[in-house]
Amino acid sequence: MSAEATQPTTSTREVVFDVRNITLRFGGVTSINDVSLQMYRDEILAVIGPNGAGKTSLFNSLTGVYTPQEGTITLAGRSGDTPQRVIGQKTHVINHMGVARTFQNIRLFPALTALENVKVGVETRMKAGPVSAMLGLPHQRREERESTSRAYELLTLVGLRSRANELAGSLAYGEQRRLEIARALGTSPGVILLDEPAAGTNPVEKRDLADLIRLINRELDISVLLIEHDMKLVMSVADRLVVLNFGSLIAEGLPEEIQKNPAVIAAYLGTSAEEAVAEVENQPELHVIADDTSNMTSLEDAGATPGEETP
Amino acid sequence: MSASIQRRPGERLRDNPLVGRALGCLALSFVLALMIGKQEGTQQDFGLAFREAILGPRIVWFLLIGVLVFLLLTFGPRVQPYVHRPGIRPLAIGGLTVVVAFSLLKWTDSTVVSDGKFSTLSEAASKTGQLAPLARTFFTPPLPWVLFVVAFAVAAAAIVLRKAALSWVGVALSVLVGLWAWYSHSLVVSLLGTPDHSTGALVALLGFLAIAAACAATALSAEESANTRGFVNRIFAWRPGMPLVAVALVLGVMAFAIATWFSPSNQNATLVDTASLFSSTGLAPLAKAYLSWLGYLLFVLSLALAAFAAYRRDPRLAWGAAVLGLVSLVLNLVALYSISALGAKSAFDGANGPWDNLGTGGWLASAAFLLLAGAGYVVATAGRERGTIARTQSDVLAGIGKIPGMSKALILLVVAGALFYPPMATPFWQKVLVSEIGIYVLLAIGLNVVVGWAGLLDLGFIAFYAIGSYTTAYFVGALPIQPPEWMRLSPLLCIPIAIVVCLIAGVSLGYPTLRLRGDYLAIVTLGFGEIIRIVAVNNPGNFTNGPKGAFGIPTPAIHLGPIHIDWGQSSLQYWYLLLVITGLVILAFNRLEQSRLGRAWAAIREDEIAAQATGVNTRNVKLLAFAIGASTSGVAGVFFASQIGYINPDNFVLNNSILVVAYVVFGGMGSLPGAMAGAAVLTWLPEFLKDQVPAEDRQMWIGAVILLMMIFRPAGLVPARRRTAELHGFDDASSAETSAVPAGEGMGGTK
Amino acid sequence: MTDFMNYLVLGLTRGSMYALIALGYTLVYGVLQLINFAHSEVFMSGAFGSYLVIGMFVHDGQHLAWWQVSLVMILGLLSGALVGAGVAWALERVAYRPLRQRGAPKLAFLISAIGMSFFLSQLAGKLFNRLSQNQFPSYFDQNKAVLHILGAAVSRIQLIVIVTALLMMFSLDRLVSGTKLGRSIRGVAEDAPTAALMGIDIDKTISRTFIIGGALGGAAGFLFGTTFVFSNIMGFIPGVKAFAAAVLGGIGNIRGAMIGGLLLGVVENIVPTAPWDGSGGWIGLQWTDVVAFVVLILVLVFRPTGILGERLGRAA
Repeated sequence: MSAEATQPTTSTREVVFDVRNITLRFGGVTSINDVSLQMYRDEILAVIGPNGAGKTSLFNSLTGVYTPQEGTITLAGRSGDTPQRVIGQKTHVINHMGVARTFQNIRLFPALTALENVKVGVETRMKAGPVSAMLGLPHQRREERESTSRAYELLTLVGLRSRANELAGSLAYGEQRRLEIARALGTSPGVILLDEPAAGTNPVEKRDLADLIRLINRELDISVLLIEHDMKLVMSVADRLVVLNFGSLIAEGLPEEIQKNPAVIAAYLGTSAEEAVAEVENQPELHVIADDTSNMTSLEDAGATPGEETP
Repeated sequence: MSASIQRRPGERLRDNPLVGRALGCLALSFVLALMIGKQEGTQQDFGLAFREAILGPRIVWFLLIGVLVFLLLTFGPRVQPYVHRPGIRPLAIGGLTVVVAFSLLKWTDSTVVSDGKFSTLSEAASKTGQLAPLARTFFTPPLPWVLFVVAFAVAAAAIVLRKAALSWVGVALSVLVGLWAWYSHSLVVSLLGTPDHSTGALVALLGFLAIAAACAATALSAEESANTRGFVNRIFAWRPGMPLVAVALVLGVMAFAIATWFSPSNQNATLVDTASLFSSTGLAPLAKAYLSWLGYLLFVLSLALAAFAAYRRDPRLAWGAAVLGLVSLVLNLVALYSISALGAKSAFDGANGPWDNLGTGGWLASAAFLLLAGAGYVVATAGRERGTIARTQSDVLAGIGKIPGMSKALILLVVAGALFYPPMATPFWQKVLVSEIGIYVLLAIGLNVVVGWAGLLDLGFIAFYAIGSYTTAYFVGALPIQPPEWMRLSPLLCIPIAIVVCLIAGVSLGYPTLRLRGDYLAIVTLGFGEIIRIVAVNNPGNFTNGPKGAFGIPTPAIHLGPIHIDWGQSSLQYWYLLLVITGLVILAFNRLEQSRLGRAWAAIREDEIAAQATGVNTRNVKLLAFAIGASTSGVAGVFFASQIGYINPDNFVLNNSILVVAYVVFGGMGSLPGAMAGAAVLTWLPEFLKDQVPAEDRQMWIGAVILLMMIFRPAGLVPARRRTAELHGFDDASSAETSAVPAGEGMGGTK
Repeated sequence: MTDFMNYLVLGLTRGSMYALIALGYTLVYGVLQLINFAHSEVFMSGAFGSYLVIGMFVHDGQHLAWWQVSLVMILGLLSGALVGAGVAWALERVAYRPLRQRGAPKLAFLISAIGMSFFLSQLAGKLFNRLSQNQFPSYFDQNKAVLHILGAAVSRIQLIVIVTALLMMFSLDRLVSGTKLGRSIRGVAEDAPTAALMGIDIDKTISRTFIIGGALGGAAGFLFGTTFVFSNIMGFIPGVKAFAAAVLGGIGNIRGAMIGGLLLGVVENIVPTAPWDGSGGWIGLQWTDVVAFVVLILVLVFRPTGILGERLGRAA
């Protein structure tokens, strides 16, 4: 059921994540079923799919929170790294290998200030131990200053400079989302995994977020792996998309290809591919691939002509 | 509230909140009756105490209390608008303080008055002819109580009726009554002639002053609801350092005008008397000058300089005041040393050496000079603070730290108290300060790292204390198995070794167990604590000497070139040693909390998964918390062993571990000042209760206090800034979602 | 072999008491995810309560017929259970509910329970006595062997303890899995907010959970007092052991608590006395508690959520 989309342009680029045939089960439930995908250096790759498709499970497998029973994942986190196995590594080790992430249900440290949240991320690369902290040795103080200024830089980047000393838990929802991104960037990653960063934010915030994601990708040269339901956002920022449904990869390709893919349309409509094509042909105004009414993107808007590429 | 009391139609009787409340209050009456009731039944008749407590006519009093509570709860809402009026809080505190002073505290140490409490003293004093009539009148029962009730009633009326004139009457009345009480008490003390450490009169004076403050507040403030923080804020914002000058003024006046400076057998010599006492002796000229004129001059000068500097906010003058205060402090101590050394040499009774036979005056003066120097420091550094945003550190007393100079002033007050209160205390309290309060404060600071900062529940903390103690006992050669001769150490040198041993013990316990979640970790650490204790009892390999334990552990001593310090039997010396150790630990830990490790601890406590994803090596970070906590406990163990001289397994029972956890949580988890305050209050309380309730009942009262504290203030005495967020939640729902996933209970924990 | 069997029976006797107490911990943990530290005092109050009741009917040195003994036993169990349930109910009302309503942090509950524990044990000491060895009146020959299994003599009291404990555990298991109350307990344990949406009164359910756990603990108090001695501080050690047993089996898991209790009782008596040749064993009974805790630590290190795993709802 996997749609083979060809990317001649990207096949020669350096691979960040190389996922081969992973399967993840919880008891009797298969959350991810034989999924393979490659993520390339400096691209923005979006993972989409209906709720329960296994997107977050994929993220958790990539970051070592879950351990897939089958398959392999290799990672070359930062540019020039040699690929290393991911499965079986601890979460924090994978983070040190250059993978940072945010969470679907924001997981900040609510009782620390925004600045301190980011500093936690920045400081995982630092060396000063408890003894030098207790004695206040010069190199510890230098590190402390460096981490503070780096954290301020990142807060400025995400537009939270003025809220640096607020407790993270007291920030507004959208601000918390951005703070999570800043914290993730603090660990100086080569690739950042964003789990529904736009959930619960308003249209203005969404536009800012899209800019931020592009900025992270273009200016900071960080590859971005994105889970998102908001199709407008996805289509506007993603270089490439993969689609999951019921734990399986059903499509992979450029945004415009995915929009036309009948299997994807079917997955979102919950019908078979043929029916979906028929239905869409009958009702051209039908809105698909969106769960947020304010940002619905119809196939028409995207210029798709369904039915052309039935496998 | 009142609406909920209305009975809705169709409601069953038992659902009526009034019924539940009435039953609750009835139960409260009975429990109180039992708690204050008779001691113990016999084995033949278990129910004896029970029957006597409940069935006698005394139950009526307790039922009345229950009815009172019921009425308060029911009609509380009607009183509500008044409760927030300015002045209510000081009035309540003041009233309570005076009642405590009049009914619980000692008013004299003299054995002439049996238990030294106010009622017995006033009974006796009112019949003593030698006493000045003014004092005798004051002590005539029930006049003091009548005066108190009148002052209280006037204050309450002033607050409720909002009559300024009445308020000022209240101020005058309260101040007068307070001073009268204090004056009468000092006459009694000078009549009895023995050194006096009682606190009753002073506390009563403070209580009356609080009532006066309540009246003043209601006269000066037209607001409907009190804003204590804003008020304090305004004072400190007006002139930082000025409050310290005010406290120093009070202390200095007490020291130089009234208090005893030198008190050998049955003499209570004030500064003037002391000066004349030593005028014809071979006292060093400097000390002589200090006693006769220099002391007064220094006090007035440094007070004036500090006040002026504070008023002008002039940093250069302020530094001058700081230096002058410190110089005066040194001179004051030199003078104290000279007179006490000379007194001891001329064989006044009871003096073993210098620093004996000194009254409270010299120490009060020391505190005053220290505070003046501190005021100078606060003023000098206040300018730098202005304009900065609230520091991101765990403020001393969450929130208050934002007020410029406030946290510094508080720290200075605590330091002054820690330095100069103990010499004024009775030997009993000195001992309590060292072997209860001090040690447990140190333990609580250590456990706070584990429980408060890293969020790991450790119920076996005393095990490390035991390990530290036994390590000391081994290396000083007090155990059956002796160390090689070259490894025998003096107790102070055992400190680094104990730190290392406890680090190793902490890591080897933590390494396999730290991946366990909260409650599992709790039981494992509890088991570890018991294992260590039972090993000590069972004495494998004759290492621990079984239940007898180790004895003859030498006292600590420092011989370093020309410096020879030997800690003998005096509790006071140990207190200062402990103060140094604790001070160093606090400084180090305070830095630690602001360091990356401190933040990493907070991170794993808040959300372990997120911390891992942010690259925090959770296992290492937890291990460090465990090891650092353990080594602090080990240091306390070394100190304990060498101070007390003998140890046995009974010192390290599980109960103590649990108590330390209770101290930390009671004080406010994750807050360094909180942990210290919790330990200090809960170790002080049983000793204080000694005079008030039967000794065996102390634990019961402690239990009740802990329970009430958790019900009414679960965040603890001094809540931590980093914790307050967790406890109170936030305005929007989003954060409730994030905090609904406790550390380790998210995705990973339930696999 | 005889020695081994004797220690096994002794272990089962102690273990069934641990299991009864452990059930109280586990039930409360199931619905609240909290260690009820004061549960040991519920156990203690069961002993005192049943003593007061029984003392009205029998006296030391009396010899009763077997049916009279059974009546007294049932009376003791009931009164112990009643007092235990009452104390547990009050405990929940005073030390838990106010904190729950304020959303206090977990540790605050633990500390309030510790406060309550101190309070109860000392209040009992003040009201009754602080002797360390109170005994129930002896109204029948407890230690007469009634049964021989593989050479082990099982005394009357041991048989009574084991059988009643098993009966009570069985009824609890049926109660939780089969009744409406049991279903609401499991519902709250599984997911309190959802259970509330389904119309389950959370407060009431928690209250009843405490009552059930308290009744079991109180009955265990009676059994313990009858078999050994009792005092106002008797709760602490068995409480800790039972807590360990609950964790061992997988806290929050009812069958886990039963298995954990029995296992802990058996292991702590069997292991120190090996090789059971009457010599007192290689390591000796003074190491009982150490053995118990070491086993606990080992189990947890290798199986971090206990033998049967967590969760009341799933296992029952």
